[in-house]
Formats: sequence, C-alpha cells, structure tokens
Amino acid sequence: MNKIVFTGPMGAGKTTAIATVSDVPPIYTEVKATDAEVQQRKETTTVSMDYGYIVLEDNTRVHLYGTPGQERFSYMWPILTEGALGLVLLLDNANDDPIADLRFYLDAFSDFIEKTGVVIGITRCDISQKYSIADYQAVMMEHNLVFPLFEIDPREANDVKVLLHALLAILQY
Amino acid sequence: MLTDAKKQELEQTLKGLLEQADVIDAAVVVTVDGHLQAMAQKQDYPLERVAAMGSSFMSLGDTITAELKMGVCRNIISENESGIIVFMHINDSMILVSMTTDTSALGLLLSHSRIHAQKMQNML
Repeated sequence: MNKIVFTGPMGAGKTTAIATVSDVPPIYTEVKATDAEVQQRKETTTVSMDYGYIVLEDNTRVHLYGTPGQERFSYMWPILTEGALGLVLLLDNANDDPIADLRFYLDAFSDFIEKTGVVIGITRCDISQKYSIADYQAVMMEHNLVFPLFEIDPREANDVKVLLHALLAILQY
Repeated sequence: MLTDAKKQELEQTLKGLLEQADVIDAAVVVTVDGHLQAMAQKQDYPLERVAAMGSSFMSLGDTITAELKMGVCRNIISENESGIIVFMHINDSMILVSMTTDTSALGLLLSHSRIHAQKMQNML
C-alpha cells in the first residue's frame, strides 16, 4: 500500500493539507479542545488520525494519514508510520519555537526517516517571517539530513501536491 | 476543564464503582481530547497514558459509527486475553474508561459502568 504520513505540531495544517488534496471526503478524529492553551489557537484537535487518499496522474492511489500533533498522543506515531513510504513534516512558522519543533520531530521520527525519507513544509510564513528556509536547512544539516523544504499553504492543493511529488521523487532514489 | 471540587466528586463516584463491582480493577474519566480528570484503581496501571489512548479509541469509534450512519456510539469493548476494557461517553466532553482482569465479567463491567456514567452525567 502506498501510504504517506503527515506529522508536525498541533495547528501546523496537517488535517487541512490532507483535506485539501484528498479525492474522497477525509476521515477526521477531531474533538473539541478542552484546555485553554489549545483553545486559544483552535477549537478542535486531532486525537487519533486523519485519513484521505489521492490518485496521482499515473493512477497510483496514495493513502494519506495524519498524526495527532500533541505529544501525549505519540503512541499513535509508530502505529501510523507502520508500512508507510515516507513522512511529510509540517511546521508552523508562527509557532513559539518552530526550530525546536523541527528538532523534536526529526528526533522522534529519526528511525523512520532513516529508513524512508521526509519532506518539510513550512506553513504560515505569511503570518510570521521569524525564520527563513535557510534557518531550517541549517538544523537539517546539523542532523546530516538533506531533504527538500518548502514554504507552503496547506489550503492550496498545488502546494500540498508539491510536497507529495517531492517525497515520492526522493523515495525513488 | 473541571474544577478541583468537581474532579473530587468524580473520583468519589469512580471509587463507588470499584466498590460496588468488585471485579472492576480501574476506571478513569478523561476529556474527549485526552486529559485525565479522575481515576480510581486497585492495581498500578499507567492511567495517564490510558486516558489519552481512551480518547483516541473513543473518537475512532465515533468516527466509524458516523461513517456507517449508525447513530451514536454507545460504547467500545476491547476483549483481551487477560481482561476487558470498556470505553463509553459520559457526555459530549467526557469519557469513562473502565477495566477488569476477569474475562467473564463483561456484563457486570458494562452495566455498572453505564450506571455510573449516568450518575456522572447528571453531576457534570
């Protein structure tokens, strides 16, 4: 099965990205957020997974799974990455410390990334220019990782498809 | 999030559940987004993690039920080699997770959990 996993911190746009490109109505497990810190940013949060699929130009069906972003649901991460081709990591440039988020997710998924590959989408660059692509690339280099990074808007299908095509391209080599 | 007084009330109700149904080993009340609110247990279980997992499991049950247009998901039963776990909504915001190591006690676990979930619904 061609399966790609979207991960990243809460609010980075994982659920939106899957919904934007899915050829079927996506499956959400979003529930209302009950803690004030989360409620300040969004009303709902994913607690299990998101799911959709996209059929590519060559008729390949690619299944898209989204992880919960909050660390207390980290037990879902190995469940969802089992058998997956690669990882799409979304980071919110307007978050408090997106560079720390990048380091955290590269470490958390290091075994999976080593076996497969990752592409990184930086979201909400229109809201915050705190860090540039070069800043994120520097962290990747610290981890001896050379993978594509893009500024994206998860509401734009073309942006999300760029991530998927980039990931599939690197996985072929 | 609940007040400390409300959490204590819930904890008393969970203790009542474990006393009335001797086969029940542990029970937790958790928000739909995975925050532990109250717990009672006879053994040492990792209930913080169980709380988060309970919310994931319940949301999957709700999602499957909605996908198949089967109304409201009343409860989810996990029957295992060494015990049974039941997940059920208390209300729109809270979930009760209860468990037993007695593999023949499903009926007892379900009925007592349902009664106490109802009590807690009235309380909240």
